[in-house]
Amino acid sequence: MLLQKALIERMIAAALSTGATFAEVYVEDRASESIQLVGGRIEKVNSSKTFGVGVRVAQGYRSVYGYTNSKNPDELVKLASDLSKSYHNDVLTAPVPLGKLEIGSRHKVKINPRDVKQSEKVALMKKAYVAAKDYDPVIQQVSVNAGDWVQDVEIANSEGRYVHDTRVRVRFYITAIAGKDGVMQTGGEGPGSGKGYEYFYEDINLEDVARDAARTAKTMLFAQDCPSGIMPVVIDNKFGGVIFHEACGHSLEATSVARNASVFCGKMGTKIASDIVTAIDDGTIENGWGSANFDDEGYPQQRRVLIEKGTLKSYMVDKLNSLRMDHAPTGSSRRESYRFSPTSRMSNTFIDNGSSTFEEIIAATKYGLYAAKMGGGSVNPGSGDFNFAVSEGYLIRDGKIAEPVRGASLVGNGAEILHKIDMVGNNLDRARGMCGSASGSIPADVGQPTLRVSSITVGGKKGAA
Amino acid sequence: MNFELLFAKAKAKGIEDVQVFLVNRSELSIEVFSGEVDKYEIADTASLSIKGVYNKKLATVTTEDLRDARIDELVDNLIQNASIIDSLDEAIIYAGDPKYETLEGAYQPELANLDVAKKIAMVKDLDKLFHSADPRITIAETMYSETTRSVLLQNTKGLKLENKVNTAMLGGSIIAKDESDQRTGFDLVITNELSDMDLPKLACELVSDVVKKLGAKPIPSKSYEILFRNDAFATLMSAFSGVFSAEAVQKNMSLLKGKLNAEIGSPLFTLADDPFLKKSPRSRSFDDEGVATSYKEVVKNGVLTTYLHNLTTAKKDGVSSTGNASGTSVASINFVVQPGKHSLEELLASIVDGILITDLQGAHAGANPVSGDFSLQASGFVVENGKIGKPVALITVAGNFIGMLKDIVAVGNDLKSSYYGITSPSIKIRSMAVAGI
Repeated sequence: MLLQKALIERMIAAALSTGATFAEVYVEDRASESIQLVGGRIEKVNSSKTFGVGVRVAQGYRSVYGYTNSKNPDELVKLASDLSKSYHNDVLTAPVPLGKLEIGSRHKVKINPRDVKQSEKVALMKKAYVAAKDYDPVIQQVSVNAGDWVQDVEIANSEGRYVHDTRVRVRFYITAIAGKDGVMQTGGEGPGSGKGYEYFYEDINLEDVARDAARTAKTMLFAQDCPSGIMPVVIDNKFGGVIFHEACGHSLEATSVARNASVFCGKMGTKIASDIVTAIDDGTIENGWGSANFDDEGYPQQRRVLIEKGTLKSYMVDKLNSLRMDHAPTGSSRRESYRFSPTSRMSNTFIDNGSSTFEEIIAATKYGLYAAKMGGGSVNPGSGDFNFAVSEGYLIRDGKIAEPVRGASLVGNGAEILHKIDMVGNNLDRARGMCGSASGSIPADVGQPTLRVSSITVGGKKGAA
Repeated sequence: MNFELLFAKAKAKGIEDVQVFLVNRSELSIEVFSGEVDKYEIADTASLSIKGVYNKKLATVTTEDLRDARIDELVDNLIQNASIIDSLDEAIIYAGDPKYETLEGAYQPELANLDVAKKIAMVKDLDKLFHSADPRITIAETMYSETTRSVLLQNTKGLKLENKVNTAMLGGSIIAKDESDQRTGFDLVITNELSDMDLPKLACELVSDVVKKLGAKPIPSKSYEILFRNDAFATLMSAFSGVFSAEAVQKNMSLLKGKLNAEIGSPLFTLADDPFLKKSPRSRSFDDEGVATSYKEVVKNGVLTTYLHNLTTAKKDGVSSTGNASGTSVASINFVVQPGKHSLEELLASIVDGILITDLQGAHAGANPVSGDFSLQASGFVVENGKIGKPVALITVAGNFIGMLKDIVAVGNDLKSSYYGITSPSIKIRSMAVAGI
């Protein structure tokens, strides 16, 4: 137990003492560790322990939020009481007494990163380093970052919710730099999981992942600058799913929909994508990078079908925003830490399998760009305009993958691009990302099978093709 | 936490030197939506970073639990962390400089003491101004956020330093809508002086900027003369600010390796790091290692004159620290691209076939600080024969950082400080590749 139940109840009572209709207490304890290796040597190690309490007090959908890292009971009750002063109602809401603490248990971890000796983490890092460095003589530098955290949260509210959740995350980030004649190019891979260290021991081979980062760097070193213009683009699976995340996902979050600020407002039940597009946001995937037992308002995470065969089926909605819009909450509330008031966010978001094979998609494309690996991107939910970077690209000529090209970016409009997806593959796979938005930076999983967009603007340094 | 007790316990366990860096923050933020306070946040937090040198290796631990009872565990963690480090970098805890500048006006009590109700009223007023400025403004999210940050650095070499800075940001994110299009804009003023909070000016400029963007479309792909408006150039610079770090250079991860004293930009380009910049939340008189900060021109008339150093990187290069330690790394404090002579109007008048870029997106992903290549989503206005024309959106502008700096042909006099901690005037580039239709 992170904070005494009686104290939480006192805080909730204080928060409701002047007429607010809802109060919530979020307690967070997190232990993290990061180790950085550059050029074969361990350069930096930091371990960190954070603890804090966030209190949200609301009347209807309007809320006030405060946080502190004090553990002092009087200070905590005072915080709740200070926040309550924003409200003045004669009618008081009585809090529902808290019952037994409900403990989430769906996502089990075999090897807790806190129990792994630092020397074992270092051994893995050095193996990955050697694999990438030895890949090719043009690899002139490799860095490996290992990070992990164990986050324990307790969430209680005036409606009687009282839950505990433990979220474990482990991640490596490997960057390889290839250089020749003063030109440098990079390749990076960031495998991670909501499992413990068993992910690195049993599920993946870090040396293969490291070699793949080196391969990308070397390929891009000898690539031409990407031409620009409008063309078909084949986006590969895994992190390619960032296209849906940026282009559409953010605009389906209540954060923008509830304020009528999204291009997808009022589109429920209508066709917003081509028939072959089904998109899902599933926060229940076992040990998923974006999964949790409970969302950050204390309600069970859910599987949400956002788009089914082209038709908009659901937004992603948190409790408070649900009061502002005609849509039930979907267990989508997330936040980086106690320093953020929660709001609706994506979890594990992906486009579902279609029927084409990878080979069919490439063969059906006369000329275009094959985006084998994507970097990050961003979107403006108000206009739907998005961009993202291609970190490993090739031109497609006459239905075959041709020469590699570097420095490409894709820009488009989310509402338009969904209609332009004209082939969807059958090789769905997911990858890890960090997503920054209103409630901070959170682990978000993206995914898709290989798919083709019939036409999109490609930006590159080489200029018009 | 009793730091003397921490120092004593660390020493007893064989830690040679220790430094504590304590950051206390209090924050207030207010957001108004549809005329009402929609979000209101208050916070008080403390975060402690401890650096320790054990067996000549430097390790760190961070904690938000400041009770003395935690000291033994923190000391043990430091020793553990140091034990796995095999870096050849020399670990240094600093005894201090003879003199530290005073940060003038860094903390403004008038701002801190102004009644919260008055701050809320100010945000509501700005919200009204956004809506009344033009009927096409359908949504405004108007915000105020204020932070007071106190820093205490203390170490076993006898150094003890303190800084206290407060700043506020006032601004908003707005959406303009007409029959066929919807455009957004965001701007804010960053200051700690109430007199800078000119609500009508802020509202007018942002609204006029966004409304003019309605109907924006891509333009044909080719090379254009490019004029980056001050805030857009600041966004671009923010993506590359890390390349000036000596740490990145020494670790073979910067495109500026081997470029010291070489020409990396046009003679019109001068870039300074100004730790004493007024009204900046980042200003400071000492860095994270306790080294006195100083004003320096990092690029002077196109020539790279210095990298940014902390004590470790400086020792390696045989130079003095530039006072740019940030955590265990190196970072700029307030980068200021030095202004030139021309007004924005003069710069526009000099363009025959070009684009005024007012907004760049995706700098965190579309710009590679190692290769220097970038390809970024942009929007702005067509400029033909010196006249501003149609709004442009959904284009990309692509180039290489050094190539672009060398292609600077004119520098504006319209300095503006951005959210990213970079201050810049508008900058004109000879030509860049643009992708549109």
